[in-house]
Amino acid sequence: MNRKHIYFGILLVCLALNIVFTQKMVHQFKFENYENAIIFCVLNLIVFPIALFVYKSDKKQKV
Amino acid sequence: MSDKNNRIPFDEDNYTHNINRNNERKLDRRGFMKTIVGAAGVFAVSSLPWGAVAAKELMGLGDKEYPHKKIADLNKIAVGEAVDFKFPGEHDDAILIRLSEEKFVAYNSACTHLQCPVFWQKEKGEMLCPCHHGKFDVETGAPTAGPPRRPLPTIEVKVDKGAVYAVRVKRYES
Repeated sequence: MNRKHIYFGILLVCLALNIVFTQKMVHQFKFENYENAIIFCVLNLIVFPIALFVYKSDKKQKV
Repeated sequence: MSDKNNRIPFDEDNYTHNINRNNERKLDRRGFMKTIVGAAGVFAVSSLPWGAVAAKELMGLGDKEYPHKKIADLNKIAVGEAVDFKFPGEHDDAILIRLSEEKFVAYNSACTHLQCPVFWQKEKGEMLCPCHHGKFDVETGAPTAGPPRRPLPTIEVKVDKGAVYAVRVKRYES
């Protein structure tokens, strides 16, 4: 497997995590487990820099 | 070597120069990756308000005491009867049920499934949401049957000088 495909895969995983975390966050919020809602919110926030970092490192690679 | 080839990817919307296709570079792998990163950004930004409101609730700002509101006079409600009222806002429907001489319970009457109004059924001794037959326990507000999974928010009431007052909306223990 080529490196660029690995980067692509990581980004797809990021997208999947985003969806899962958002779903969990909304549910935990509705169940009034506010600590858990905040945890999932933070996780959702963390995924964005990771995705950005992966994208940048992919851009640095030689085509 | 032409100057173009030193800049990778060069700013041109074409790879092949013999097939004419619009937006070729926008639809490639890296363009799609850019879209995913953008989506991650949108997810991050849109989850901020949830976190903020959750933090606010945790810090106890959501548990504020509203101005006491008179629901009804004591002698107007018979034991086993229910009264509808609005609390804390003008559009927040609530229901007060007199269980015994001394005991009153009040809940936000929007069903926790899809916000239909919940009714008190005196004969059966339970609260029923007619939309999807969700039932709630009258003592605690906990769901006992049907689609709802979360209890009704409890409203604290106080009896004072022959009338019942709504004091605050209580967070239930989860």
